[in-house]
Amino acid sequence: MPLAAEASQPLARASLGELFYEFLKVSLLGFGGGIVLAHRAAVERRRWLTEGDFADALTLCQFMPGPNVVGIAICVGAKTRGALGALTAFAGFVLLPGAIGFALALVYLGQTRVPLVENVLRGISPAAAGLMIGTGLRLLKPHRRDLRTILFAALAFAGLAIVKFPLLLVLATLAPLGVAATLYNRASLR
Amino acid sequence: MSALGRLTLYLALMSSISFGGIPSVLPGIHDFVVIAHGWLSDRDFANFFALAQTIPGPNMILMMSLVGWKVAGLAGALAAAGATAIPPCMMYFVGYRLWDRFRDAAWQKIARASLAPLTFGLIVAGGTVMAETADKNWQAIAVTTAAAAFLLSTRINPLWMLGAAAMLGALGLV
Repeated sequence: MPLAAEASQPLARASLGELFYEFLKVSLLGFGGGIVLAHRAAVERRRWLTEGDFADALTLCQFMPGPNVVGIAICVGAKTRGALGALTAFAGFVLLPGAIGFALALVYLGQTRVPLVENVLRGISPAAAGLMIGTGLRLLKPHRRDLRTILFAALAFAGLAIVKFPLLLVLATLAPLGVAATLYNRASLR
Repeated sequence: MSALGRLTLYLALMSSISFGGIPSVLPGIHDFVVIAHGWLSDRDFANFFALAQTIPGPNMILMMSLVGWKVAGLAGALAAAGATAIPPCMMYFVGYRLWDRFRDAAWQKIARASLAPLTFGLIVAGGTVMAETADKNWQAIAVTTAAAAFLLSTRINPLWMLGAAAMLGALGLV
């Protein structure tokens, strides 16, 4: 279990090179499910952050504008190596893959489509979606006996995925309700 | 103001309010560059979107750099990418610094306990919405289910699952 392992081992300090390399990998291999790979790298493999630190950063990024996975890169970089770490993670995540991608795109725009590439992507997209679902469920797992957590996770899920309300509306409605429930149930904090 | 200046300012504004990611402001960007200014056609916009999805890396930043490239060449590409990436990244950095500094404050414990459950639900929902567009047949649904189940119950590196799924796709099985 990740939680038991976490308690027994101290966190590791990230080098700038490792930050760059890990987020370059997350960016190039993420396929829309970058959160999964970022979690794997930062929490499980490198032990730069605890499970709780990661969930914290994720929560903050959900409630801020912008591409959330880039936000995770910035937070992990900032947590382990400050401003320079954030910049390094950003460079690995955005600058290099962006430059390569831009060059590839310009080449591709002049070509006809390649069926093999499209087939491969048709296989990857469902797996990437499944990994993202799995990540959310795994973050929920330690809280599975906490009724309030399960209830609000279910409400957020239903609002976005079933009723298909816009994200901003879901957040603006459920965040105050969540705070009210927490205040009502202060015992859950202790 | 030049087209490049207007595009850059508009993208910087949009990225600053893109709660939930750039896709949430994509309709606004489409109206600005295609309808209001006619810098690119509807078809260009759709092509850039599809292309950005298929190239690994930061998809939406790449898409905006292609839009900028169409408007003002390489300078346009750089300005558009910067306007899309930099404002949210500055906010993430400053936001995280504050969040981390006050991590033991009472208000933050309440905020964390209240908002984390929503985050978990939203991530599952994000995956579900992605699955709805990606899963066109039962094979694809099986791949999604298997990937979620493996991630939840094993410690297998997720890259193996992406690789296996890529293989199934290449063989034409998905």
